[in-house]
Amino acid sequence: MITKEKVLELLKNVIDPEIGLDIVSLGLIYEVEINDDSINISMTLTTPGCPLHSTITGWVKNILWQEAPDKDIIVNLVWDPPWSPELMTEEAKKQLGM
Amino acid sequence: MQQSDSIISAYAPPFKIIIKYFAAAIIYFVVLNLLLLLNYKDISGFYFQPKILAITHMLTLGWISMTIFGAMFQLVPVVLQVKLFSEKLAEIQFWIFLLGTIGLVTGFWNFDTGILLNGSAVLLNIAVLIFSVNLIGTFIRVKQWNVTGWYLIAALVYLIITAVAGFLLSYNLWHPYIKINHLQYLKLHALVAVIGWVTMVVMGVSYKLIPMFTLSHGYSLRSGKWAFYLVNAGLVGINTFFHFQNNKIQILISNFIIAVGIGFFLFQIYLIYKNRLRKKRDVGIKYSIFSFYMLGIATLFGLIFSFTDFSQIPNVYLIFGYLVFFGFLSMLIVGQIYKIIPFLTWYHKYSSKVGLEPVPLLKDMFNEKFAFLNYYLMTTAVILTIGSFAFNNSTALLFSFALMFTGSLLFTFNVITILKK
Repeated sequence: MITKEKVLELLKNVIDPEIGLDIVSLGLIYEVEINDDSINISMTLTTPGCPLHSTITGWVKNILWQEAPDKDIIVNLVWDPPWSPELMTEEAKKQLGM
Repeated sequence: MQQSDSIISAYAPPFKIIIKYFAAAIIYFVVLNLLLLLNYKDISGFYFQPKILAITHMLTLGWISMTIFGAMFQLVPVVLQVKLFSEKLAEIQFWIFLLGTIGLVTGFWNFDTGILLNGSAVLLNIAVLIFSVNLIGTFIRVKQWNVTGWYLIAALVYLIITAVAGFLLSYNLWHPYIKINHLQYLKLHALVAVIGWVTMVVMGVSYKLIPMFTLSHGYSLRSGKWAFYLVNAGLVGINTFFHFQNNKIQILISNFIIAVGIGFFLFQIYLIYKNRLRKKRDVGIKYSIFSFYMLGIATLFGLIFSFTDFSQIPNVYLIFGYLVFFGFLSMLIVGQIYKIIPFLTWYHKYSSKVGLEPVPLLKDMFNEKFAFLNYYLMTTAVILTIGSFAFNNSTALLFSFALMFTGSLLFTFNVITILKK
């Protein structure tokens, strides 16, 4: 049975190639909900109109689907609340030189 | 069960179409720097002479516009979240534009102002028409507009004016019909091309790309909007008053409004930069900063130039042209290519492997030391060239052009390294 912790650990493999940080440390994952037949991810991006818009959500689906092929992977891209730098982990802030 | 179906971006056109535009642009850049180097003795004095006209068009069409087309086909769909109207048209446009540019440059070089120059101008107009159809077809599908979108629409209008004016001018060289001064219309063509078409794209796209690259947040876009209103107001003024005699005051006011508009743009860039989260400046950002400084200097220079008589300074037009085309535009383009080509190549080769196997980061796509060496070579060349023009020193000019040519070769080498990665 896949857990929320496991999902977050897997999503740490999705790295923004420009920034060099993973989407969990960047604070892009808002919510993880695990049901009997699906995993629902609610996430955002640092800016609307990012060239990796549809790609990042694709990566999220792919990675989770490898681990839980019996479930539907549903990724909701949300802009409310908008992403803000405060959502980053301390480690991520340090890496950006903040 | 749901397998990912959108591993490739839903919007962006294929790699092979876009990369063609960039490849042609870079080849033009190397060749035009070689031509400057080989003909350095002819590059002085007034601008209306065959070789300078040829090299200028190689630069504006082959290098700058080719890059903009390639970048726009990639960016417009992503920024406005809409699919490009036609990939086929983007492909056809490339070949017609390429042919038209080669013909036009050859026509100017030999000052063959008949069929070759005019036929090429027609080809370029056809290419612009195809581009317009493709872009308008894309724009009408857009559901949500943003500031960048406004800039791109305006830029397209100015591109059309530039192309038509260019053809009318080339026809005038064949069969003279313009009653007022040819050079007066040439200035209109050049101003609309550089400020209307090129700078408008640069401004709109910068509001999107610079925050993305620097991870900038929490700034207002108000200055960027003012820049849009002012630069357009000034351009409309220039386009109107140019057709009249005794228009000095009106043109001066229009120039002034444009300069203030560019000031607002630079202030907007400063705000974005000040609010950046990524403190480290990579090579792309360093090039961009240099280029924006050059834009500021060129604007001040142009403004003072339009109020004062500078004819006693040697090569004053060439200094202004070099500031704009090399200091501002070429350095910005080189910097942006250091961001865009690694991204496109990475996306093409590695995006489907993310999470499944280790993939490189964008900064690992090229040797950063070589890229910084490239930055210092090129920016030194820009400053030395301007100095050489100002002091009318042809030996220094030869050295400066050699430096820029070396820079363009190193740049090409770096781009090839990225593509091979």
